[in-house]
Amino acid sequence: MPKREDIKKILIIGSGPIVISQACEFDYSGTQACKALREEGYEVILINSNPATIMTDPEMSDRTYIEPITPEVVELIIKKERPDALLPTLGGQTGLNVGAILAKKGILKRYGVEMIGADYKTISKAEDRKLFRGCVQKIGLRVPRSSLAYNMQEARRVAKKIGFPVIIRPSFTLGGTGGGVAYNIDEFEEIAARGIESSMISEILIEESVIGWKEYELEVMRDKKDNVVIICSIENIDPMGIHTGDSITCAPAQTLTDKEYQNMRDAAIKIIREIGVETGGSNIQFAINPENGEMVVIEMNPRVSRSSALASKATGFPIAKIAAKLAVGYTLDELPNDITRETPACFEPTIDYCVVKIPRFTFEKFPGTDPTLTTSMKSVGEAMAIGRTFKEALQKGLRSLEIGIDGLVDPPYIPQEQLIQKLTVPNADRILYIGHALRRGMSVEKINELTKIDPWFLYNIKEIVEMEKRIENSDKAGEKEFVDILREAKRYGFSDSQIAKILGKDETYVRGIRRKKRIKPVYKLVDTCAAEFEAYTPYFYSTYETEREG
Amino acid sequence: MDSKKIMILGGGPNRIGQGIEFDYCCVQAAFALKEEGYTVIMVNCNPETVSTDYDTSDKLYFEPLTVEDVLNIYDNEKPGGVIVQFGGQTPLNIARELMKEGLPIIGTSPESIDRAEDRKKFSQLIQKLKLKQPLNGTGRSFAEAQEVARRIGYPVLVRPSYVLGGRAMEIVYDERSLEEYMRQAVEVSPAHPVLIDKFIEDAIEVDVDAVADEERCVVGGIMEHIEQAGVHSGDSSCSLPPYTLSEEIVQELKTQTYALARELKVIGLLNIQFAIKNKEIYILEVNPRASRTVPFVGKATGIPLAKIAAKVMIGKKLSEIGFTREKQINHIAVKEAVFPFIRFPGVDIILGPEMKSTGEVMGISDNFGIAFAKAQMGAGLPLPLKGTVFISVADKHKPYVVSLARELQELGFNLIATSGTAAFLKKMGIKVKMVKKIAEGRPNIEDYIKNREIDLIFNTPIGKGPKFDEYRIRREATIRQIPIITTIPGARAAVDGIKAMKGGKIQVSPLQDYHKHQSG
Repeated sequence: MPKREDIKKILIIGSGPIVISQACEFDYSGTQACKALREEGYEVILINSNPATIMTDPEMSDRTYIEPITPEVVELIIKKERPDALLPTLGGQTGLNVGAILAKKGILKRYGVEMIGADYKTISKAEDRKLFRGCVQKIGLRVPRSSLAYNMQEARRVAKKIGFPVIIRPSFTLGGTGGGVAYNIDEFEEIAARGIESSMISEILIEESVIGWKEYELEVMRDKKDNVVIICSIENIDPMGIHTGDSITCAPAQTLTDKEYQNMRDAAIKIIREIGVETGGSNIQFAINPENGEMVVIEMNPRVSRSSALASKATGFPIAKIAAKLAVGYTLDELPNDITRETPACFEPTIDYCVVKIPRFTFEKFPGTDPTLTTSMKSVGEAMAIGRTFKEALQKGLRSLEIGIDGLVDPPYIPQEQLIQKLTVPNADRILYIGHALRRGMSVEKINELTKIDPWFLYNIKEIVEMEKRIENSDKAGEKEFVDILREAKRYGFSDSQIAKILGKDETYVRGIRRKKRIKPVYKLVDTCAAEFEAYTPYFYSTYETEREG
Repeated sequence: MDSKKIMILGGGPNRIGQGIEFDYCCVQAAFALKEEGYTVIMVNCNPETVSTDYDTSDKLYFEPLTVEDVLNIYDNEKPGGVIVQFGGQTPLNIARELMKEGLPIIGTSPESIDRAEDRKKFSQLIQKLKLKQPLNGTGRSFAEAQEVARRIGYPVLVRPSYVLGGRAMEIVYDERSLEEYMRQAVEVSPAHPVLIDKFIEDAIEVDVDAVADEERCVVGGIMEHIEQAGVHSGDSSCSLPPYTLSEEIVQELKTQTYALARELKVIGLLNIQFAIKNKEIYILEVNPRASRTVPFVGKATGIPLAKIAAKVMIGKKLSEIGFTREKQINHIAVKEAVFPFIRFPGVDIILGPEMKSTGEVMGISDNFGIAFAKAQMGAGLPLPLKGTVFISVADKHKPYVVSLARELQELGFNLIATSGTAAFLKKMGIKVKMVKKIAEGRPNIEDYIKNREIDLIFNTPIGKGPKFDEYRIRREATIRQIPIITTIPGARAAVDGIKAMKGGKIQVSPLQDYHKHQSG
């Protein structure tokens, strides 16, 4: 189907100010959407209250409103501009909520504005817990048991029925604000009361805890012809119980069997169809019980999300741009992939590398706050790194954070009891303390028991720690052997400064040897197709292999 | 080396103090240089950004922003220029080492940046230009700090010269607090002394963003902070153009900006923070690089400062670009900060010299009050137009709150206050209901807040004394999203906003219209 000619003017809602859980990923998605729609000749009207964004640059859209994103103000803009369509799926939860309210109040109907990208019914099915559970059950899948409560009495009754630990999620708040995990009735009283307070409609969802299960996300896109593609699978290294935004994640998923992955894929396709997202991208979260492989569906975002930004950068597939084009009537098979120019957008991206995302926290700015990671997001930013192996990407990611570490370094020594705490209770430094525990001889099995992190990741970290030992002992080796170790260490993602510190030398010393021995990175392409087709957009990452692509 | 190839270093992961503003600057720079026919190479590792979109630059390297990784990319590409001005602190931190390795860093020279950042050199610079800065000194121990503070007089602004987590900037009012600060500033050492500045109380703070080439400097925007000096510039709201400064002061700010740009041989962006008290202008900071307010200036005035600066950095003259004089705007844009306090229960929400906000919004109108009210609305804490206002301010602020209370009363609000403020307001002939403090029994102010019987709170911190009460009040209000204003100038602006909102309806206009209707 070609693009729609019956609409000319489209209103896009942005996501407003940068807050925790809704950050500049929506500037990225909004900017892509503005560009994509104008490229197609549509007149684009934009509202966003955030002046720091690129999307609000006057040349990005035809008419740019920097105004508060409230239903009342959006109505004023609609009245003034009379757009034909409203695209609410690129402005995060803010855009979606305002779009839904405008639809519910009949304002869109009154001014003859069509909602594109998602309709009110779809948004409700995905966002309303009860409706969502119904949909998921209808297609034979399971969601964690849960019930809504509107006061403490009801809340206590639900908690008793479900059994501790439980997860408390206030309705209509952003990124889990005011929610948390309660292991006992005391914690429950506090979190539930706070949750009811912070919910706009005094509603909380009390949910069976699947803490410790493995967590996954799939980025899915669908078009009007019912084509569905999976853009990317993302595995959370931190298990359930920590907000995805606060988890270290990697793409593609690393520890699923092919059968498990295919099941998840099938489930995602069924869900996007059942919820009825007609065009655009969605993000669906799953949990898998590591004991028996049982799978549950956690939630779905019927819009472009933070994970979509990550998936776009991880694969090279421009989710927001394609979502905008699907919203105006194109289908996946009609849209070319910019990178290869040859393949259409319905080709699922193939990845021949590993991507790791690590959150960045700023607890030092808020003394007195609890730094435990829970279901309420606390990080303020993130770094992503690409490598040929998980080890390489993890270490590059750690040094990208700019928190004074140049890789998986050893954190300050702490007594055994505190170490157990650091591993059991999720926190920002846990990844470093896993390395620390391994250096102190703790077994992978034990660490898995304490952290519930899949042993595959732990073995990889163990290999990093073992490489560190080899570097440490390399001064006893001959020159050739030393150079070999150095080359291998670089493949494990070790930075020059990290190696220098292990050797008790200066960074420039290691750089000098590397230069002399021609140990240089090669640059590989992020091309969506694992080099099967020619790539036209030079998007690179470094790795220490021999074959260069850039 | 390819002279038509430029490498831009991005800002890395977002954090408080370095966020989307710098991504905006990097992206604008990339667009500008592409326009000029350059091949643009972007380096960044933040997946949330527009700069890491593959079609923003000609070549994208998704890599860490460390010396090692940047050097490797440089060796692979051999660009003719490297830009470190736009990505915030991240690229600046590695700029010196990159220079040492022979990378061609373009724009303002690192020596000039050093002159602006090094305290000693900076003082000499200010003296040379016959400008003023707050009195200051450094202390390696409590004794030294004490001596400096006695010499320059309290209150003083103290901060470590080297920050690694932990404690940072604070305003200290007496010797005991100074001792406490020095004891807790664990990273103080002979190599890393504590920096001590005279803190100018109740001064008006101003940010100026400008761009300069070798021939001239043009001011892009002058922003008057609404909160008094002492609140981090990233956390305070501000108005562009200034809303209380005289034409004479504004002219003088420009003159000083030109002088600093000329002396530092700025090529590209320049941000200066001023404090003004009793018509005296003090220079707090000079940053010869992109500042957090560059995008705000762009939206408020239509001047794409970062784009212009990028073109200047590759050798174009401002006269060639056609940006040679300041623009006069006929509307007002107000920027307001947005805070994450609701995520961090237990944290006090008082604003200080340490930045805590994650984002910002803008309100734009022909009228200051409406622009301010729109900004509050955009920040998710709209000003109420009726209901009850709770007032609790420090003794020194009581005289200032009288006229505000009176105006609120005339606007139809009910006022309540705890004993001290209530007694004072009553004496001044204002009708105010007294409410118990938390320790005075029930029902007390906390009950009122919890029952949502309060619609707006003016609370300036008393500092010492019943801190606990205040803290509880602020916390309970934050959870319930009740707007709470903690400075007197902020309260003044809020009353202006309420008045303007009650007087007329909100109008919306696109930026393109605002930018058209201005003379320049």
